Amino acid sequence: MDFNLTDEQEMLREGARRFLREHYGFEQRRAISAHLPGFSVECWNSYAELGWLALGQPEDAGGWTCSFVETAILMEEFGRALALEPYVSTAVLCARILERCGNVEARRSMLTAVVEGKVRLALAHQEPGGRYDARPISVVATRSGDDFVLQGWKSGVLDAPAADHLIVSARLEGEENPALFLIDAAAPGLRMNAYPLIDGTRAADVGFEAVQVSASCKLAEGSVVDELLQEALDRATLARVAMALGAMESVVQLTAEYLQSRVQFGQPIGRFQALQHRLAEMFVEVQETRSILYCGLAHVDAEAAQRSAMVSAAKYVTANAARIVGSQAIQLHGSIAMTAEYAAGHYYKHLFAFEKIHGDADWHLDRFARHAAV
Amino acid sequence: MHFEPNSGDGAFRAEVREFIRQHLPPDMARRSYICSQPPDIEDFRRWQGILHDRGWGAPHWPLEYGGTDWTAMQRHIFMEEIYRADAIDYGWQGTHMIGPVLIAFGSQAQKKRFLPPMLRGEEIWCQGFSEPNAGSDLASLRTRAELVGDEWVIHGQKIWTSDASEADWGFFLVRTDPEAKPQRGISMLLVPMNAAGIRIRPIEALNGGRDLNEVFLDGVRVPCENLVGEPGKGWTYAKYLLEKERTASAYLYRNKRELEKAKQIARAEHTAGMRLIDTPEFARKIARVEADLLALEWSVLRILAGEKNLHDADAVVSALKIRGSEMQQRVAELQLDALGPRALRVFDQQDRSAEVIEGTPLWPSYVPGRLGQFLYARAATLYGGTREVQKNIIARRAFGL
Ligand SMILES: Cc1cc2nc3c(=O)[nH]c(=O)nc-3n(C[C@H](O)[C@H](O)[C@H](O)COP(=O)(O)OP(=O)(O)OC[C@H]3O[C@@H](n4cnc5c(N)ncnc54)[C@H](O)[C@@H]3O)c2cc1C
Repeated sequence: MDFNLTDEQEMLREGARRFLREHYGFEQRRAISAHLPGFSVECWNSYAELGWLALGQPEDAGGWTCSFVETAILMEEFGRALALEPYVSTAVLCARILERCGNVEARRSMLTAVVEGKVRLALAHQEPGGRYDARPISVVATRSGDDFVLQGWKSGVLDAPAADHLIVSARLEGEENPALFLIDAAAPGLRMNAYPLIDGTRAADVGFEAVQVSASCKLAEGSVVDELLQEALDRATLARVAMALGAMESVVQLTAEYLQSRVQFGQPIGRFQALQHRLAEMFVEVQETRSILYCGLAHVDAEAAQRSAMVSAAKYVTANAARIVGSQAIQLHGSIAMTAEYAAGHYYKHLFAFEKIHGDADWHLDRFARHAAV
Repeated sequence: MHFEPNSGDGAFRAEVREFIRQHLPPDMARRSYICSQPPDIEDFRRWQGILHDRGWGAPHWPLEYGGTDWTAMQRHIFMEEIYRADAIDYGWQGTHMIGPVLIAFGSQAQKKRFLPPMLRGEEIWCQGFSEPNAGSDLASLRTRAELVGDEWVIHGQKIWTSDASEADWGFFLVRTDPEAKPQRGISMLLVPMNAAGIRIRPIEALNGGRDLNEVFLDGVRVPCENLVGEPGKGWTYAKYLLEKERTASAYLYRNKRELEKAKQIARAEHTAGMRLIDTPEFARKIARVEADLLALEWSVLRILAGEKNLHDADAVVSALKIRGSEMQQRVAELQLDALGPRALRVFDQQDRSAEVIEGTPLWPSYVPGRLGQFLYARAATLYGGTREVQKNIIARRAFGL
């Protein structure tokens, strides 16, 4: 085993860190977040130019074939900067579904567009009140000649407001298994109610009122759909674990610096052992998070059951760490961290959102337990 | 020992419950359900007036100042009913904090001038203690006041002043004797918030709220009779005020009500075809919080019943504060865990109504407000003395360390 980065990987990390330091300082991020679309289109274009949107995409789409480790490295830096661009939705989650779906034409054209930074994508899978066990039940696709008509609601669709296309899961009328469709976000009959989420990103409830979808937009159907979704969601989850790790490392550093500079009772508060121990506990959590991320990365291409179990372990451990690190960061800062004008609270919000996206700690613990118990 | 409540308590509870049922406007209760902390100021004014008309404007004050002669247990029951109905708690800074201080140490003129409008909810108060460099180390505060003729002239800066931009009056700790030892040179002044020389800058909080403020005092003048008690005794009064309502720091009633809300959500939300509350995992999660809350409730009851505790009273109160503030965070977390992915949506201050689209309850009425309250709850272990400061107090007062 070798946990050290290769020279190329090191360069990727250094490049990402430098770019984000220059373009994503805290004040810059606040300004970006304050206006629609809630992220920086300029940065997005730069990501395309820097080749970041090509990471892990297939070569025939102009991608840069590499392991998932590269994606994780980049995501760690995104987390450090609390970057707001819909990278995971587009370049990890939806791109992976497209890559593995049976629709050759959609795969080629869309993935090329992803790599070039020309489209943003979102997965519309979760349904109102469906928590994390979304099986498409309310959204129904009815056959109409060769084409389909979609009806129903999706809820809490991450990054939907700025997406050009959505990948939508739907129940095929009269059939057991769901299907996946690629739908233009501007399609007639598609309604989007957008709102901000706690971490500064945007989501939407998406309504389908007799939305016409041509047969060529069907990405997959039948029993493969579940595995297709699961695999892509696992990778997206792991990408978010890497982001959470970066965010945690960053906020621990911020807290350490604050403890050195904040003076109360005539001395830096970092001299109080009670606070030193808290900081040490945060450090322990971050160490464990990095380890479980690596464990997840080692299994990202394993067979389905094992892959999912390891991703769940990673999500669960990281979610716990995120709660501890995020809340302690606020506590150690005192009231300054309760303001929107200071970074610590934004890390807390990001880490909180992390826990609730793609299955919360309980959901992943359950999924891991089903594996661990046998 | 005996554990039976007094015989009249049941009837008292029924009377309180009936009064609230008749007088609490439903729209006010809804607003308070959504965002119980801090309450809407207009609602607070109105509700305080309603309670005052019934003679319940400040149950914990002596009868002669407009309070009641209720027993501690009756006050406990009263607060339970207030929260159970999503009514509004008393203004902390007014009837809970400065009111009792004025009753104990204020001049006759101050009592006459300030207590009646406080009771009626006509004047809102804020507490100007903390400063940028005097948080936990409050005694290092630097805002100073100098007697010039028969006026105090104040210079300095406060921060984290809750409600400062809506308050009519503030009670400020200021340094009046730079020569004296840090705690001895501090005095307490009553300051009208519209006085010339006051500038207030709202601070945007993590949950979007704007109830926190910076307050700049630049040559603010108040008459010498606005000094509370004696000069140099401000620290004593501040301690008295912070310790006055000893059981309040358990946030017991809020915690009980918020736990109810969490259960309500868990009954309404479904997972894998089951009510969330019926899944063993979530039931256990609720049970853990509920059991700890029961312990906290009985800690409060022990104090209310006047138990002679082995340990120093300050240490016991600090234990309540530590546990009570942590419970606020845990209960809020429980609510958001029950909400699952719905927990992530930010509802802004205006857009608090839930959306029901074409019969699909995309956003049930229990969702708005929970996230904001959850974020606010992080402050519970900071304000009123941080958790670490409370632990220091316990170590010192209970064990002499
Ligand atoms: C929502 C809210 C409302 C508030 N309302 C008011 C108000 O109305 N009026 C008012 O005057 N103030 C108010 N405050 C301010 C609050 O009381 C102070 O913020 C609090 O006393 C902590 O001070 P600080 O933020 O400066 O933290 P600091 O004192 O800088 O503390 C930072 C960290 O160091 C720790 N620490 C400090 N000293 C020690 C020590 N000796 N040993 C171990 N650890 C230590 C703290 O526990 C904390 O974790 C409010 C704060 C909030 C968040």
